[in-house]
Amino acid sequence: MIRARLIVDELRRHGVTDVVGLPDNASKILLELLGAEPGIRPLTVTREGEAFAIASGLWVGGRAPVVLVQNTGLLESGDALRGTAMRMRVPLVCLVMVRGHGLLAARGLQPPPAKLDAGLLSRSDVDSVALLTEPTLRAWSVPWEVMANDADVPRIGAAFRRARELEQPVAVLIAGETS
Amino acid sequence: MSLTKEEVLRPLARRRGDAVVVTTMAAVRPWGQLSSSALDFASADSAMGHAADFALGLALAQPHRKVICLNGDGSMLMSLGTLVTIVASGATNLVLFVLQNERYELTGNQLVPGAGQVDFAGLARAAGFPHVHSFQEAAAYEGALPAILESAGPVCVALKVETGTSGPLDRGPAEPEAYLRPSLAESAHALRRALAGRGSH
Repeated sequence: MIRARLIVDELRRHGVTDVVGLPDNASKILLELLGAEPGIRPLTVTREGEAFAIASGLWVGGRAPVVLVQNTGLLESGDALRGTAMRMRVPLVCLVMVRGHGLLAARGLQPPPAKLDAGLLSRSDVDSVALLTEPTLRAWSVPWEVMANDADVPRIGAAFRRARELEQPVAVLIAGETS
Repeated sequence: MSLTKEEVLRPLARRRGDAVVVTTMAAVRPWGQLSSSALDFASADSAMGHAADFALGLALAQPHRKVICLNGDGSMLMSLGTLVTIVASGATNLVLFVLQNERYELTGNQLVPGAGQVDFAGLARAAGFPHVHSFQEAAAYEGALPAILESAGPVCVALKVETGTSGPLDRGPAEPEAYLRPSLAESAHALRRALAGRGSH
């Protein structure tokens, strides 16, 4: 379990001004806290790809945005992430709520097998988006940090440092429930 | 009846002041032939259909400066939800031009879906844009442009434009348009410096 308050405090500590993304069940409490946070402006988009282009524009304009999406939306965002934040070398942290992580762990598939196939990706007792999240980030050359509990919250700071050092997007996979 | 790109862009180049201008697709080269401002940005070698999103981010970050996006109809169709996001964002300084040539001009002038049928001004109104204009004649457009650029937005301007023959866009030192010579990253970082007052205008 990860306390959403700790995530918000960490984002504030790193000077975040805008959170651009699309809500999911797991980010509900986090977004409610962010919405009440002075100095942080939430912006909801209609499709996740918009978020990476808007966040890139915000950064070029002098703001300090993060993107907040579910891993399904991350996959939808491929060309937007590639063609804006990555190609523009924007040090953008992307918080990714990992749907399906718990199911993978329960099925003994965490970490996911290196070789994926249609048989595994179509199993009804497994959420294929969780299987594909990390391989997709690897293919897109986006490094990531993983958070599963309160003790992992400093991984957000590590992501900000990596994003600045590398001048590129870095993901934070939020694999635990938030409260 | 329709406008040439020059009839759209030349009056805008005269009146843009210190606005940021984001171009994409068939507007990139014509604008680069008319303007050489550090506040010009070509969304070329970038993400398809996301120039207006990028411009929205700039507008939200720079609320006291106009941001003008020269979008195409094919690009707009790729992200129609952006019309809703723009309005919901509360940005009042964004002017979104949709240049309707009804073609994917850079890929060989194939027709866009709904060519001749889609009403972009109507879509913008339905999304909640408070100010929407549509033009297919140069004098009316040029006459209205000063008020359009002065009004609080977001503003959408749908323009019927002639089909052109622009080829694919490239970036690199051999490009005739100055803002296509740097890489996309160099352009983005240069614009960031210019907006922070650390670049030349």
